[in-house]
Amino acid sequence: MTPSPSSAPRPVINVARLPASALDHRSPIWWGNLLLLFIETTMFALMVAAYFYVRQNYNLWPPPQVNSPFALLRPVPTLSLPLISLAVLTLSAAPMIWADRAALHRREGAVKIAMTLAVIFGGVLIAIRFREFRYLNCRWDDHAYSGIIWTITGMHLLHLIVGTAENLLLTAWLYLHGMDEKHARDVRVGAVYWYWIVGIWWILFGVIFYGPRLWPQGQL
Amino acid sequence: MNSTANEPLTDLTLVAPAHLAKRETELDQKLEKVWQRPNGIVGWLCNTNHKDIGIRYVVTAFVFFGLAGLLAFAMRLQLAVPDNTLLGPDRYNQFFTVHGTTMMFLFAVPVMEGMALYFVPLMVGTRNVAFPRMNLFGYYAFLAGGLMLYGSFALNIGADAGWFAYPPLSGPDFAPGKRVDFWSQMITMTEISALVAAVEIICTVFKQRVPGMSLNRIPLYVWAMVVTAFMIIFAMPAVMMASGLLAMDRLTNVTTHFFNPAEGGDVLLYQHLFWFFGHPEVYIIFIPATGFVSNLIPVFARRPVFGYTPLVLSLIATGFIAFGLWVHHMFATPVPELGKSFFTGASIMIAIPNGVQMFCWIATLWGGKPQFKTPLIWVLGFIFIFMIGGLTGVMLASVPIDRQVHDTFFVVAHFHYVLIGGAVFPLFGAIYYWFPKWTGRFLSESLGRWHFALFFVGFNLTFFPMHILGMHGMTRRVYTYSAETGWGTLNLLASSGAVVMGVAMLLFLANVWKSRRTGETAGSNPWNASTLEWATPSPPPSYNFAQLRTVGSRDPLWIDSPETTALVDGLSTEKREVLTTTLLDAHPDHKYELAEDSIWPFLLALVVGLSFTGLIFHPIAFPLGMGFAYLVFILWFWRGNEPKRASLPHVSEGAAS
Repeated sequence: MTPSPSSAPRPVINVARLPASALDHRSPIWWGNLLLLFIETTMFALMVAAYFYVRQNYNLWPPPQVNSPFALLRPVPTLSLPLISLAVLTLSAAPMIWADRAALHRREGAVKIAMTLAVIFGGVLIAIRFREFRYLNCRWDDHAYSGIIWTITGMHLLHLIVGTAENLLLTAWLYLHGMDEKHARDVRVGAVYWYWIVGIWWILFGVIFYGPRLWPQGQL
Repeated sequence: MNSTANEPLTDLTLVAPAHLAKRETELDQKLEKVWQRPNGIVGWLCNTNHKDIGIRYVVTAFVFFGLAGLLAFAMRLQLAVPDNTLLGPDRYNQFFTVHGTTMMFLFAVPVMEGMALYFVPLMVGTRNVAFPRMNLFGYYAFLAGGLMLYGSFALNIGADAGWFAYPPLSGPDFAPGKRVDFWSQMITMTEISALVAAVEIICTVFKQRVPGMSLNRIPLYVWAMVVTAFMIIFAMPAVMMASGLLAMDRLTNVTTHFFNPAEGGDVLLYQHLFWFFGHPEVYIIFIPATGFVSNLIPVFARRPVFGYTPLVLSLIATGFIAFGLWVHHMFATPVPELGKSFFTGASIMIAIPNGVQMFCWIATLWGGKPQFKTPLIWVLGFIFIFMIGGLTGVMLASVPIDRQVHDTFFVVAHFHYVLIGGAVFPLFGAIYYWFPKWTGRFLSESLGRWHFALFFVGFNLTFFPMHILGMHGMTRRVYTYSAETGWGTLNLLASSGAVVMGVAMLLFLANVWKSRRTGETAGSNPWNASTLEWATPSPPPSYNFAQLRTVGSRDPLWIDSPETTALVDGLSTEKREVLTTTLLDAHPDHKYELAEDSIWPFLLALVVGLSFTGLIFHPIAFPLGMGFAYLVFILWFWRGNEPKRASLPHVSEGAAS
């Protein structure tokens, strides 16, 4: 069934003049990043599911804090600093959007400034986040409730650290070597990752900090 | 970078065959220099060629298959007669745990990924996978996971809580020591590897198909692997989380209470998380195998496949429904009755898309002129055995029957029929089919038929009696039984079947060993098949195709005529460049440079493997591991981006003179 070779001329497409990179969803690395985010989103979704699963085991949610020196009947996580960090995290999207758009238009100077700002935001956020654990009002090894909220908060912090470390590396490269097409694409893909870090925290924050306030379980 | 507006970015010329041949020779020489594999031991560690990585996955997975097979053989010897004392209870626990864990995590998934990493790029007509270095990292992560499991087993501290390691049995109270911890870190490593391979497969198929290979022309095997890869992406995080939370519960200085009922934790949470992965896992193993079958049947029936669109839709439907079945593994636990009914319904529903596939295969065979070569014989064996496994599956999906035979040998028989019948039989078919592509030589047909016959007989001898043993009440995972139970005869029968299967496997090894050197030589397309991997020499050159081609149909080597199907020229011969095309219609879009060979993936896997091993003993390994991994990653990024070759202005390579 194989067509036999023939002496007729054969059409040939020359692709030499096609661009050597793409800065959006046409690039394989953009898809690679998106799939990574599918994986991470699945993981967080399962953690939220686990949160609500263990909730069924408690008469009072969050469970009364009896292990600490200050016994609390309803130790909902404190809002003060976490709200500030949520605001800072949301603001951190601004330099990322700037870097994203500047990379699209190949404005190298603007990208460098925006990326530097993004790294600074990241550093500040990480510092706040480490303090934020004490606002959860429990230790990770108190019970299943504390375990799951520490894990969710900790895993999100881990993503924040990874995202910031990535931005730092990329920014250093931009200052030393300038921005070519490939690294303009990296800036844009990194921006998608950062938007996801910001967006997913809104959901996780709502679950951890507002869930027990809006829908407390059990009678006092 | 972009050419001036309105000027088309590609142009089409007609080239005479003589010039084409000349151009091809010229390209062969130039591409060989750019894509050649690195030399020496260090070079071996750095090699990012997808074909070599695919073969390494397959060979490594078969080594684990052999080891786990030996464990199974030892268990069959122990159970052959009542009150046997060959294996004590502790050793028996380790044997069945390591056997099951190996078969699921170190054989079935990796071997399917290895096959895909070899053939998917060839079948979509590209030069390498989308991220060659990540791909290499994935292999080393898999290897590290395997070494963890077998390292601890060799030290007699092998995992012993079953392949699903349910707490509380696997929790800190009932499983002291480090056995379960090695198991859970092995899970993390192998799942990292599976996820990496899944991302590779999707990105390669989405962005690197040859022009003209629109979604409705993708070979069915490639479709099957895309569905599998998406399932891996949504399923594997669940098992990583289950084993990760278990490890946190167990680790001194961390001691969380996720699965500790005394502190509000829940052991059923573990079962839910595990089976949310565990049930799709069955299909992650089975769908690639149906891909083999859909790919092999048309070749040996000598006609295009019947029902391409229903086959693709069935794959996708199976992928979705597979996520709604997991509770049928938990019918013996106190989940709500309504939930059980729902999951029974869903379990029966998945028979619909699988039935559609089965009928399409039968219709293809019916409408063709079947040639009963060894690969097709394995496929027919698959249809027979999988049918039996499917029937017992429908039985187990109904709550009353499941409550009767739960955790008995009936279940053992069922899942061996499904997994060996559903995955290993098609896999052997695929190996007999593609061996000529790997090596340029056929496997021996006569030895292949003996291999099939003995394996088929041995398999049924071993596993069929287990159905009956299960109904007589023999529970799984018992290291021995007393003579009064009357189970001795059937057990002896099962054990004799294991001997036959062992002989069959030895024949297979002999066949591979012999045929590699002295097998009948095969040309580039020895089966006269229709997909693109047969459009290049056997074994393929490092760059796969000198000139990429376009396709105009689902069976390009059968239907497309050379006069109307264009070749593609103009990719760089100075660097490792591939063509990317659009997602839906596969129009040429842009060119994409792939990374060079590199040692960093190996070093990253080493650091990650060591830190997960350290994490078995102390939580400090986590921040340390992160730090070292970041260091390696900096070097990977930095060194990888520095231009190695003199960066010439990108001269277009003229298509033809």
